[in-house]
Order: sequence, then structure tokens, then C-alpha cells
Amino acid sequence: MDGEKNRFVHDLRNPLNTISINAELGKLTLERTGDIRKAISIFETILTECQQCSQVLETLHNTRFTRALDSSSEGGET
Amino acid sequence: MADVLLVDDDKRFLDATVQLLGLLGHSVTAADSVAQARELISKNVYTHMILDLILPDGSGLHLLEALPTPNTTKITLITGHPSVKSIVKNLYGSNIGYLIKPIDLQQLESLFEEKKLAFAKSESSIKLHFGYLVGESAPMRHLYEMIERVAATKANVMLLGESGVGKEMVAAAIHYASQVEGDYVAANCGAFSRELINSELFGHEKGAFTGATHRKIGVFEQANKGTLFLDEITEMPIDLQPNLLRVLETQKVTRLGATTSVDIEGRVVSATNRTEQDMAVQGCLREDLYFRLAVFPIHIPPLRARKEDIPLLVQHFLAGFNQEYNGAIGINDESMKRLIDYDWPGNVRELRHAIHRAYIMADQQQKVLVLPENLTSPFSKVAHQSQAGIRVGKTVEEVERELIESTLEHFDGDKKQAADILGISLKTLYNRLNSYGNVEL
Repeated sequence: MDGEKNRFVHDLRNPLNTISINAELGKLTLERTGDIRKAISIFETILTECQQCSQVLETLHNTRFTRALDSSSEGGET
Repeated sequence: MADVLLVDDDKRFLDATVQLLGLLGHSVTAADSVAQARELISKNVYTHMILDLILPDGSGLHLLEALPTPNTTKITLITGHPSVKSIVKNLYGSNIGYLIKPIDLQQLESLFEEKKLAFAKSESSIKLHFGYLVGESAPMRHLYEMIERVAATKANVMLLGESGVGKEMVAAAIHYASQVEGDYVAANCGAFSRELINSELFGHEKGAFTGATHRKIGVFEQANKGTLFLDEITEMPIDLQPNLLRVLETQKVTRLGATTSVDIEGRVVSATNRTEQDMAVQGCLREDLYFRLAVFPIHIPPLRARKEDIPLLVQHFLAGFNQEYNGAIGINDESMKRLIDYDWPGNVRELRHAIHRAYIMADQQQKVLVLPENLTSPFSKVAHQSQAGIRVGKTVEEVERELIESTLEHFDGDKKQAADILGISLKTLYNRLNSYGNVEL
């Protein structure tokens, strides 16, 4: 069960990380270069990653793993 | 600007971070596996390495072992959870930074700002050969070739060279170049007491002798499948040398008090500051042991035979001290010339000591090293003087001549003072000097 939980945490953390880095990149790109095309493609990456997160949450919802997570003391961790 | 190696298998994260660091003005190389990163490390020098802990072909931590030591690369681990920090700290020391996911710009920037000053100053461009050795002179090139050749074999090596030439560094370099699975273990045969030498080398079982309260693993076993460095091998008592010989011949170690032996393999690198001739004449090493240990003898050149390496060594030591003290001290041409001109009887060790001292005395306004008036080390004088003096076999004339010359040297050539001290007339002194053929003295 622990392995499954770890994988779930990992699967969420990685897209979140990519979102974070891309958001920073988008900000910096607009501030420094004003390259709007570039910025748009960066936002698209962010949106794709958001969908990825959403999918992970969806599979979680559909598995018995939710119950295990509920009973776990670290259940609230993202 | 930093030279960054970024290792992560998440391609989207890798792409974005490369661009982000690029916008911040750093030069970034990306790798998505341990193997790729390992290859890059072997060919390039990076100021920073940012690593994912878990990669498809292994742990990012393996790369830390692949880095040459000592190195100035700032290591940062990307981790999902801060708890990794304490584990890694125990394993690899505290000199490692962390990026906690999700990573934001502030975290990334702090990585470079924190050390920006220190790096601008301490970054050493001096190439380290086999992770330890500095120098590009012909004698050193020859040494590197010898190391490379012997690293490919299992032969035992004996390092010969004056005190301070860096025998332990060469031993560590041989271990590094050999890429063996076992550890590098160094032991100084001159430092063990006579009673304990066998137990240090071969280990003992609990209760083997009074005071043996627990089992001890000797250095031979510790260095199994690795490299055992035995420094000052010629200082080992001659009657204890057969024990060492037996272990080398049988490749088996029996701990004191044990009934069974343990198989060992690995390379023994021994070292001495005596010459081969000295060893033979003075009989401080058994001949049979010499042939076991010196399958491949390597002579390490004294510093005065590779003076062109002095600037490189000085820069290397300076970079080290600058990093240690977080300073930005340099050296002017005049000081460098003095360092190159000096003879360095204590070799690289003496040079390092001189730089350390000059670093402490450095002119903080000008940011340059301040060398002492006189570079001569007290020990080089002692060594010189010990050659003089009375020894059986010297003629009275020789002793007298040495006495007169040393006295004159002491008074900077003042013959009147020398004659007074020696209790002879000035005329006698001149007569003696005339007979030596150096009236100019």
C-alpha cells in the first residue's frame, strides 16, 4: 500500500513541479523578451500538465486506494 | 555565469529549466540519464550540478562518486521531500544543496546567489589528473603514463621520492585510476608501535591478547578488492617484515588469535623516501619483500625538477585557500618569480605550507599574497647541517674544512670574526682557505 501511495504522490508532484517551473519561465519570458508566441506555448505546457494532474486524481478517485489514503496519517500530503 | 549540468529524466521539466536557467544567464547542459551525465562529467568541468535523485538507470547519487575528488562542483539534489536531506547529509556531508519540488524561481536563483561570490573567486581552472595530481611538466606527464599503465594491471606499486613530493596523492590517484570496487585504505608503517603493528595490519579476534576487547579488522581486510597504501614501508621493523611477506605471497590474512584465514585481493601501494640504493645498503627492507612490493616502482620527481608546474600548483592551492576562507587573494608576478626560483627541498608540501602562510599574511587591500623575506624552511637547514659534523671515516682535514666554512658562512664571510671564534689567527685562516683553493670566500 505504501508503494502505491508513494507512486501517487510522485505522479502528482512531478506535473506540479513542471507547472511551477513553466509558470516561472512564462513570467520571465514575458518580462525579459516579450516573446508572446513563446509564452503561449509555455502556457499550453502548463495546461497539459494540469490535465495530467487531474487524470491522476481521477484514477485515485476510482480505486480502493482512496480508502487506504483516508486511514493514513499522512493522507493530506500533496 | 555558471556552467550547469542538469540531470533529470522528466523531459518537460528538463526543457523548461534549461530555458529558465538560460534566461538567467547561465550555460546549461542537460542529461536525462546517469550514463549520459557520467560521460559529460568525464569530459567537462561544471560549476554546478543539479541532480534528480532517481533516474531510470540508477540513482543520481552515483554521479557524486564519479566526480573527481577534490572538486569545486556545487551539488544540488532535486527532491520531492525535505526528509531526503538528512539521509543524504549523513552519506555525503553537508556540502550539498537541495531543490524541493515544486521548484520556483526563488529556489533556483538562491542556488547561484548564495555561492556567487565564492565561486567567482575560487573557481580553479587547474586540471586535476586522476582526481588528485596537478602539473603538466614532462616528468609529471611521464608519471601520469606510468599510473595509467599500472592501473590496468594488478601489480603492486612502490612509490619512491623525497619527503613532501605527494606520495599519498599518487597512491590515491592510482586507486582512482584503477576503478576497483574496494576501498582505498592508507596506513603509515612508521606510525604503528612495534607491539601493535601486526594487529593494525592483519587485525585480531576478541581476546587474542590482553586488551583485545573486541574483534578488529586489519587494514589488509579493509582494503580488500581495493588499494592498500603502506606509507614509510622502510620504517617497519625488519623482523616483522616476514609476516607482511607471507600475506603478500599467500593472499590470505589470518587475524591474530584466529584459526582460519581470510582471502584477500587488491593492490598494495607502498612508499618510502629512501632511495633504492639506501634500502639495499642500509638493509631496512628485506630483499624478498622489496621484490613483492616493488613489482612496479614509480619515482615521483622532486618539485625542483618540475619548476614549470609551480605556477599551476600555486594557483591550485590559492583557489583552495580562497574557497576555505571565502577570500579573493591573488599573487603578483614578483612573488611568483620568487616561488619559481626557490629550490623547495621540502617539495610540494613545503610549497603548500609557504602559500598557506603567505595567505594568512596577505595584503588585504591589494589582495595579494605576502611572502616572507626568506623562504627557507627551518627543516631544510637542519637537513643541510646534518651532512656536516663529525662522522666516523671523515679525515681531520675534512672536519676542519667544514668547521671553517660553516663558521665563515655564519658570519657572512667576515674572516676576522670567524678567526676569532675559531681561535686561530687571521693569517692561519687565510692559509687554510688558500689551500682549499677558494680564496674568494
